[in-house]
Amino acid sequence: MEPPPPTAATTAPARAPPHPPSSATSSTATSTAVTLPRLPILTPSQLASCSFGPLQKRINSGGPDVSFFLTSKAYNDLMTWIAQLNHAMVPRSSCDTKRPVTFPLPLEPNKREWSGPVGKLRGLLGKVEGLMDEAPPVEEDKNRRFGNGGCRVWHGLMRGRIGGWIEDLGVGGMVEGGGEGDGGGIKRGVLEEIKGYFLGGWGSESRLDYGTGHELSFLAFLGGLWKLGYFGEEGEKRGDGEVEREIVLGVVEPYLEVVRKLITTYTLEPAGSHGVWGLDDHSFVPYIFGSAQFTRPISAMKPEPTPVEGSCPGAPKPASVTNRQTVEEYRRTNMYFGAIGFIYDVKKGPFWEHSPMLFDISGIKDGWGKINKGMVKMYRAEVLGKFPVVQHFGFGGLWRWEVDEEMVGEGGLGEGEGVFIWRVSRGNKVKGREGRRRRGLWGAVVVLWGAWEGRRGAGGYA
Amino acid sequence: MPGLPSSVDLDECISRLYNKELLAESVIEAICAKTKELLMRESNVVHVKAPVTVVGDIHGQFYDLIEIFRIGGFCPDTNYLFLGDYVDRGMFSVETISLLVCLKLRYPDRLHLIRGNHESRGVTQSYGFYTECSRKYGNANVWHHFTDMFDYLTLSVVIDDRIFCVHGGLSPSIHSIDQIKIIDRFREIPHEGPMADLVWSDPDPERDEFSLSPRGAGYTFGSQVVKKFLDVNRMEHILRAHQLCQEGYQTLFDNQLSTVWSAPNYCYRCGNMASVLEVGENGERMFNVFEAAPENDQVKDMQMGQEKMEQGQLPDYFL
Repeated sequence: MEPPPPTAATTAPARAPPHPPSSATSSTATSTAVTLPRLPILTPSQLASCSFGPLQKRINSGGPDVSFFLTSKAYNDLMTWIAQLNHAMVPRSSCDTKRPVTFPLPLEPNKREWSGPVGKLRGLLGKVEGLMDEAPPVEEDKNRRFGNGGCRVWHGLMRGRIGGWIEDLGVGGMVEGGGEGDGGGIKRGVLEEIKGYFLGGWGSESRLDYGTGHELSFLAFLGGLWKLGYFGEEGEKRGDGEVEREIVLGVVEPYLEVVRKLITTYTLEPAGSHGVWGLDDHSFVPYIFGSAQFTRPISAMKPEPTPVEGSCPGAPKPASVTNRQTVEEYRRTNMYFGAIGFIYDVKKGPFWEHSPMLFDISGIKDGWGKINKGMVKMYRAEVLGKFPVVQHFGFGGLWRWEVDEEMVGEGGLGEGEGVFIWRVSRGNKVKGREGRRRRGLWGAVVVLWGAWEGRRGAGGYA
Repeated sequence: MPGLPSSVDLDECISRLYNKELLAESVIEAICAKTKELLMRESNVVHVKAPVTVVGDIHGQFYDLIEIFRIGGFCPDTNYLFLGDYVDRGMFSVETISLLVCLKLRYPDRLHLIRGNHESRGVTQSYGFYTECSRKYGNANVWHHFTDMFDYLTLSVVIDDRIFCVHGGLSPSIHSIDQIKIIDRFREIPHEGPMADLVWSDPDPERDEFSLSPRGAGYTFGSQVVKKFLDVNRMEHILRAHQLCQEGYQTLFDNQLSTVWSAPNYCYRCGNMASVLEVGENGERMFNVFEAAPENDQVKDMQMGQEKMEQGQLPDYFL
């Protein structure tokens, strides 16, 4: 497939009200009105009423704290954010041409013209990457064990410089004039939170590992910027996911590339991976956004939910992840294949053996839409629903540790699927058809997980 | 001690397992029950005699376990001491622990199994063994049988009154080996305390004393701790596993402590060597270094992959 260049669709953005209507949870919602997931931008009065400051650790146990988290504003907003980015990556059908418009990774990202905020974030990622030259891997650690001590030097350098770098992003300007009276305090607090999520995105300095919890922190950093209106003004000018796509293609993927370089440079340990039995040693979101890139096209003219099956014409077959040649062909343009390509770079042995879950998923016959839907569901349950992953997540004014009284959106998966994953698997009352199915093996995994409250949160590995 | 049910033929189980076949759930249940009875009578500090071959972390790398037997000799021709971490991470934890347990039952004095930090309900839920059991057997019963049996594994071994062997390392609450003997070990590995330390701690060549471990459990311990422990207990050497070594082994503190690591190309990607440590009759120690077994490289993607595909083991999220 030679993907056509992305073109800006001309439809008006489907702006969701701050809280989608409650019908969104019902599986029949799609037949009435389609509300696309969209993270609301904080209003000046909301900014003034939130309290911002150093991030607070709230999830201290696997039982009640995780349960609370799953009803919180933070959780709902995180799922909305991921669904919003995901939806933007789905190809669009166009009336003008027969070929759908797809959104591949740019082959020469530095030559492309990025919007101001995305350009600044790319610059920031470049600086982060550059620090690796200043903190080379420690020679004597090379043969010693996992996790090169040079990475601690790298973390130290970043901690030292991050304050100025975050200032350079110009986030403060978003807040200034927002709150009355205590504008300076709010600004300090907001910058503190943004900095916290950014710093959380690069693995553990003490354990020298990296996993999906760190990836989540980086997404929270970007979502926090969104909430502050950092991408805002342009978001209103350019509709239909244009800004979100820039964020995914122009920031998330380069972030993943820096992380991969970090992993290989300092031989970072997978944080709490399930070994061969997990999806991937380190990452999750490239499988979400990458499968969206290959999903059946949706209309560019009217709001349509994220497809739950079908592939874009010309997309490679899911089974081709076991074909090295096809992986090489697509890894520069598709995030899913980019992640698979990295697995091939670092692992030796048969694919089905070192990556059995990705292998099984490659056998799916209902297209990339089905894979995308499964990935989002799995993300809720295996990343956001898992104590060892979310225990380190910090809360504050941007991502709030409060019950979401109007928790209805569930990130607009389209049909409200997977909404009850966690609750269902705790053995409570099953809602709807999706819940019934969930009583399989993987459901059992989650049930047991829930039963093990107070499990150790240790990040040990060997 | 009553024997196994007559339907269970240990030698047959062992030969099946050498071929990487899974045992039936009922057989696993019977074998684990029997192993518990056997392990229950072992002290927290088991004394063994050299010669013995000491093996570090395996982590479900079944082909490499077989490679170890090919290199070091099969049971019961060679005596073996395994230092724990049989499960998690790799693809064949069930086959690995099934084989080791059957060998233990068949040759109880020829093979000893120490408990590692992964022989635990909590850790195996995060690191793969739970998922593997569920996927290979369709339910978690086998995982329950194995993890219940793990509660009975011993914590340490002393070879010829001179080499102290443990999975992780030392504990600030243990000065004398006698203090290990009074631990109530028949339980899940606790979050802290001497039992947790023995399976979680690591040596730190840059320190003298104990300090907090970056792992979040156990401690790191330095040269003075090692020296004092050896003096107090009149031992010559500490032998442990628990940490990947690129060369397969590592010796620290003027040859007073060694780490043995037996999972080559750990997690399919580290490209590391592995080793077993052969302790001779006069206490001499020889690391036998090896790399990933040739089976790991065989191109079996096509055939095996096809079989797996037909079994339809998709996680529920994708149904």
